[in-house]
Amino acid sequence: MTKSKAVHYGAKRKPDNVRKQSYRFSRRALLVGGAQAGLFGLLGWRLHQLQIREASDYRLLSDENRIMMQLVAPARGTIRDRTGAILAEDRENLRLLVLPAFCKSLPVTLDALSRVVPISRATRDRVMRAAVRQSGYYPVLVAEGLTWRQFALLNVLAPQIPGMRADRSAYRKYNHARPLAHLVGYVGMAGKDEVDLDPVMRLPGFRAGRAGIEKAFDQQLRGTPGSTKFEVDARGRVVRELGSKPSTRGKDLILSIDHHLQSVAQERLKEHRVASVVVLDVVTGGILAMASTPTFDPNDVVFKVDPKAWGRLAAGKDQPLQNRAIRGQYPPGSTFKVVTALAGLHAGVIDAHETMRCPGVYSMGRARFRCWKSHGGGINVHEALKQSCDVYFYETAKRMGIDHLAAVSRHLGLGRIYDCGLPGQKAGIIPDQAWKRARFMEPWYGGETVIAGIGQGFVSSTPLQLAVMAARVATGRAVLPKLVLSPDDQDREWPLLELDPHHLEIVRAGMIGVVNEPRGTARRSALEIPNVLMAGKTGTSQVVSTRNEHLLSAYERETHALFIAFAPADNPRYAAACVVEHGGGGSRAAAPIVKDVMTEALLRDAARRPAFVSANQDGVPGAIAIVGDGG
Amino acid sequence: MKMLFAEAPAQKLDLAKKLLLLNWPFLALITCIVLVGIAALYSVAGGSFEPWAGRQVIRYCVGLALLFAIAFLDIRWWLKGAYPLFLVALLLMALVPLIGVESGGARRWLGVGELSFQPSEMMKIALVLAIARYYQWLPPEKIWRPDALIPPLLMIGVPALLALSQPDLGTAALFGIIGCGMMFLAGVSWFYFGAAIASVVAALPHLWEKLHDYQKERVLTFFDPERDPLGSGYHILQSKIAIGSGGLAGKGYMQGTQTQLNFLPEKHTDFIFTMFAEEMGFVGAIALLALYLLMLAFITFMALRCRSIFAKLVAGGMGLTLFAYVFINVAMVTGLVPVVGVPLPLVSYGGTSMLTMIIGLGFVLNAHVNRKVTFRRAEVGTLW
Repeated sequence: MTKSKAVHYGAKRKPDNVRKQSYRFSRRALLVGGAQAGLFGLLGWRLHQLQIREASDYRLLSDENRIMMQLVAPARGTIRDRTGAILAEDRENLRLLVLPAFCKSLPVTLDALSRVVPISRATRDRVMRAAVRQSGYYPVLVAEGLTWRQFALLNVLAPQIPGMRADRSAYRKYNHARPLAHLVGYVGMAGKDEVDLDPVMRLPGFRAGRAGIEKAFDQQLRGTPGSTKFEVDARGRVVRELGSKPSTRGKDLILSIDHHLQSVAQERLKEHRVASVVVLDVVTGGILAMASTPTFDPNDVVFKVDPKAWGRLAAGKDQPLQNRAIRGQYPPGSTFKVVTALAGLHAGVIDAHETMRCPGVYSMGRARFRCWKSHGGGINVHEALKQSCDVYFYETAKRMGIDHLAAVSRHLGLGRIYDCGLPGQKAGIIPDQAWKRARFMEPWYGGETVIAGIGQGFVSSTPLQLAVMAARVATGRAVLPKLVLSPDDQDREWPLLELDPHHLEIVRAGMIGVVNEPRGTARRSALEIPNVLMAGKTGTSQVVSTRNEHLLSAYERETHALFIAFAPADNPRYAAACVVEHGGGGSRAAAPIVKDVMTEALLRDAARRPAFVSANQDGVPGAIAIVGDGG
Repeated sequence: MKMLFAEAPAQKLDLAKKLLLLNWPFLALITCIVLVGIAALYSVAGGSFEPWAGRQVIRYCVGLALLFAIAFLDIRWWLKGAYPLFLVALLLMALVPLIGVESGGARRWLGVGELSFQPSEMMKIALVLAIARYYQWLPPEKIWRPDALIPPLLMIGVPALLALSQPDLGTAALFGIIGCGMMFLAGVSWFYFGAAIASVVAALPHLWEKLHDYQKERVLTFFDPERDPLGSGYHILQSKIAIGSGGLAGKGYMQGTQTQLNFLPEKHTDFIFTMFAEEMGFVGAIALLALYLLMLAFITFMALRCRSIFAKLVAGGMGLTLFAYVFINVAMVTGLVPVVGVPLPLVSYGGTSMLTMIIGLGFVLNAHVNRKVTFRRAEVGTLW
């Protein structure tokens, strides 16, 4: 069929159909239009019903007695330590507000109020500005933290001062604030995203967790808001309460922390610029202390906040807001030799009896790796750990290869973050061949295995990870850290590590040697408690390559000092790790701290005492149900 | 008469001619409603252009430029562009669950740097164009055939399912109303509509099971607001009190006590009619509804005067969109239907809804400017 024929054919019979469709459209469009008009009529009828027929009812509800609904912010759950000491709680905050729309004259009202509560020039200006800027029906805060006397006086005067309102809200109070600042965290006003998700957060005085435990367990701590329906008169005064739905208080949290030990640890760190220490209960995994210096006072950032002070804190020297125990990633240095030794024994490349000679330097091809001193001959694994001989572990690492070393490191809990309710943890790095290919698109070099054997090069860990590693070596079980206690997880046992108990015994003996035998690197930090031995391992990690050294200050050039330990050596209960940034040698800076903190832990022996139980505590809070994963 | 239906040569209209052909009274009507909205936003903010009214003015100016651009482009472009536009909108909607931004528990937005926009809004326009394009292609004598129903039903069903998964019940329902309304206008047999209504009634209990809890709660509260007067029934109750207390003449501009007292949520967006009815009373509310009704009448008569079925359906479809928005919004705030988040077109604060509506009206004007245009078979091409 040609085109012209088609047009001709179409032209002949289409008009009829097209015209029909056009008419049908017109009919139906008018029908739809009629239906739309009819439905608009329905809206008109509805408006007539509301605004004419029932108008007087609604006007009564509106003008004479307005129903006002107020949301009641819930009390936030209390955070306690294992002894029951309160770490964070809600305190009553008595506030003075004004509703400008109900004031005859705002300046006069403020004058009247200033006879009870001192109102500064600046506050006065702020209130006046707010009253102009926003609807007069929106309450403006004049003062908070009133005394009971002021609050009572204001309530007596209320009938004479229209537009004022004194109410009770809450603020967050932190005890043992500076030692626990990083761990417990703090609260603040909800961010914009959170307000969008839950409008309740818009409530004045509503606070959400911003850091630490307060943030991680915000849902449990927060509780659910209640509401009260009031009848208020045209001047905004409450006529009567129509009914209320009480708010539900947030759940309490009991931490595994012992605040006394925490304070001792924090105090002990004070002499250093940046340092952190972690103490674990190796049986339960409970974190007994986790201190980080520099620190701050969370009470300064939650109530009557001074914006300038907050700015100083956030941008401060050495970043006091950072929790070094979970966010500081350090080359573990010689503390990592514990891992290398276990991995070597597990791989079968060394045994308890084989001895090596340490000439003070190790050669591989053209490269030469130095030992910190020349140890001479007869170095077996026990001596190598005790005297921290680098050459022995260079050779061990080289023999087994990086992938085996990495696998055992991970089995000992390194290179990962723990699901224990601490937000912001860093994972550190346990390198292997696949990691390097993915990260740098480069193959792995043999020399990198050698330095990984002494915890240098790419390897990095946080103090918490090192403490977990120490706990796993001490118990031979896949211990995981835990921060929140729950009444029904007392007798859980961690699964056994897939390592030969005999190998673990060899390494533990070496660690006992470090602290207690002649020529041990931490000999000076042996415990002074009779019949109780501590086992440990020092570490001194290089932080800068020699190439950039001249660019740095003397402080920045100094090595990091590390120490890991567990005690009592024969029946371990506590494990600890300490890192002092740029602190020099591990035996000089870190080991003495662990000695003192460990002594305190052993003497108090908090882990063996029953933990506090609160009536307002979750049985097994979903977010923290920890299942052992075997490392 | 014969000339009218002959395959007329494609007439090209120059800009001057187009300006002359534009429906200026209709444009004045649009501006009138937008001004009502700006005045209302000024009042909601307690007598201030900040933060809403000022920005709404700017948005309207931007929208006006878009409206002219759309109205003055050749209608053949839009005919050709209808399917591609629909496919792009569909693709963007499908992307939302993957890369969308979550807000208020629902994922509806795509973010591009600082800007964010809702693909489902774009789909409201694209759907109308695509269905109109389909019926321009479909020979009228085939319209009764069941297989001719499949493409338009897919065009409605796929976006509606995507909207449901976001989850956005209101938008899915809107797609259904607009799409089915257009099929009705195009001339699909009464019989199919009867069958569809019967099967929907049969499927209702099943659909109920599929609703989210918060949606069920809204429906249940609608039937019995006292169920939870402190919870979701609160909005309806407060909105009714505000409207009812306005009475015949209203409380006066900027004198509304209920809305000024912050009893109402979203009073600058979905509940702006409430505030308007409280301050302007029955008289004002009816006047505003009359303006909308006048607009709908304009659109209907513009659609009747168009020669091609594409132009007729574009105008008719946009009219249906406008009607659906206005009706659902006002019915919601007066407690006739459950609370679903639908804004009052041209009045509520919000960039996306304002632009969607203005663009839609731009297409109505485009159809009107090109009312004499008919399409040759070759221009309509194949189904795709």
